[in-house]
Amino acid sequence: MAATPGLRYPSNKKTIYDRNLNRSKNAELSRAAFAYLFVEMISYAQKRVKGIADLERRLNQQGYPLGLRLLDLLLTRASPPSLRPTRILPLLQFIAQTLWRHLFSRPADALEKSESDPAQYMLYDNDPLPNTYISLPKEMSQLNCAAFVAGVIEGVCDGAGFPTTGVSAHSVGEQEGGGGVEGRMWPGKTVFLICFRGEVLEREEVLGRGGSG
Amino acid sequence: MVYRVVFALFIISKAGGLIYNREFHAGLSKLEANDYLIVAGTFHGIHAITKQLCPAAAAPTPPAITTPSLAPSPFPSRPSGLEVLETQNFRMQCFQTQTGVKFLLFTEPHQPNVDTMMRRIYELYADYVMKNPFYTVEMPIRCEKFDRGLDGFVKVRS
Amino acid sequence: MILYSFYIFDRHTECIYSRKWNTRPISSSTKSARPQSGVSITSNGDVAPATRKALSKEDDAKLIFGLVFSLRNMAQKLGGEDDSFLCYRTGEYKLHYYETPTRLKFVMLTDHGAKTQRSALHQIWALLYVEYVVKNPLSPVEHPGGIGVANVMFEQGLDAFVERVVLPT
Repeated sequence: MAATPGLRYPSNKKTIYDRNLNRSKNAELSRAAFAYLFVEMISYAQKRVKGIADLERRLNQQGYPLGLRLLDLLLTRASPPSLRPTRILPLLQFIAQTLWRHLFSRPADALEKSESDPAQYMLYDNDPLPNTYISLPKEMSQLNCAAFVAGVIEGVCDGAGFPTTGVSAHSVGEQEGGGGVEGRMWPGKTVFLICFRGEVLEREEVLGRGGSG
Repeated sequence: MVYRVVFALFIISKAGGLIYNREFHAGLSKLEANDYLIVAGTFHGIHAITKQLCPAAAAPTPPAITTPSLAPSPFPSRPSGLEVLETQNFRMQCFQTQTGVKFLLFTEPHQPNVDTMMRRIYELYADYVMKNPFYTVEMPIRCEKFDRGLDGFVKVRS
Repeated sequence: MILYSFYIFDRHTECIYSRKWNTRPISSSTKSARPQSGVSITSNGDVAPATRKALSKEDDAKLIFGLVFSLRNMAQKLGGEDDSFLCYRTGEYKLHYYETPTRLKFVMLTDHGAKTQRSALHQIWALLYVEYVVKNPLSPVEHPGGIGVANVMFEQGLDAFVERVVLPT
């Protein structure tokens, strides 16, 4: 078949699938290019949405497939190629370290376990990259555009076999801003709430017993 | 370095509307909101005329008179229009982007390094206004991060 | 320094004297190449460049007066009542402005790198205009249409002044 040259079939027959996966491992992308793309993604997501929750849900959906794919890519690239994480802690470490380094060239700022809910984990980022250039209008102050990143996390968890009831992004900078130095230093500080499903916890418990016994 | 003062920054849209107006230090007269719009509109016209008056027009070659619209031209060599305005009490530098947006920076008459300052302001604008998904082109600029960026920068300098 | 033109406006907004210096050498050869490309994209066949040039020559003085008037108002609005407009420059030229206590307006256009010519404008008023126009018994008090300004003494004085003071700076 004589394929027409284009993005999918370049004239030199080298498609994106022919390239070595590690070729662009350390390549950095233009931050401005991402910023402009993200502007369009938000504009697109903003069409026909009913509210801020709806908009965040859509951003989350845009990130989800990215998470699924990144899980594959990052596991393949790991040396030696590793299996997917099977316990909660290694999974969260994978997200906070490997995934974050890949996406933002730095690890996440903190990882915490909720004291009230055993299914809940908190991942902190002091200044999420997607929000770098975004100033929220007053009427949308509840919105956090890092919902996109929350979608990526959800994709990774789901793909690794850790279904969640949802991952959401919340701004914490402002609440703390009244009291702590933290808030003033990191006005964009964001927490990603990860809520695993019951079955994940049950499995974790079984595996835990198996490990100790 | 000598202690100098930046008075204010105006941003005028391609269509001549005032889309940003910020005072850093007292020094210019306070006007009604409406009067600021009038000043911006007037300046928009003045700027267009200063382009037309380019004395190259006196030369035998066809003059580079621009059309009334400030259509962006891919040629950076078109007449620049007013760049610096000096009066007894202030100095105003005007910078026009390729897309027709004008930045007006009001300083004390002998403020040094206005060019660098202008470049930095343009950078802040490109980052925190143009890359903000919630900003609509040609509309008034209400971007917290842009304000904060200017604050940090102008206050530090002066 | 390159001198492009010089204007005097009276208090009735009329241009009572204008003078142009032909300035095609050196600088215009570099400039001519640029504007042509500008014309080719901007003039959508509305006015041919040649006729527009003829028009603009007549209207130049009116345009400049309107411009100077607006800038003067703008300066006073923003800088306070006591503020006065001094000059502006573009990438191509610089306009110098001086207003006498009798509200005569002196305007000079030079290349954009020139130093301020305010004192030169002041001297033209004090040494030439006052001497040869105001003190001239044959000249009327007002100068509608420029009557009495462009007399031989003033013209010669201006030429000499430009040669001696303005151009060498």
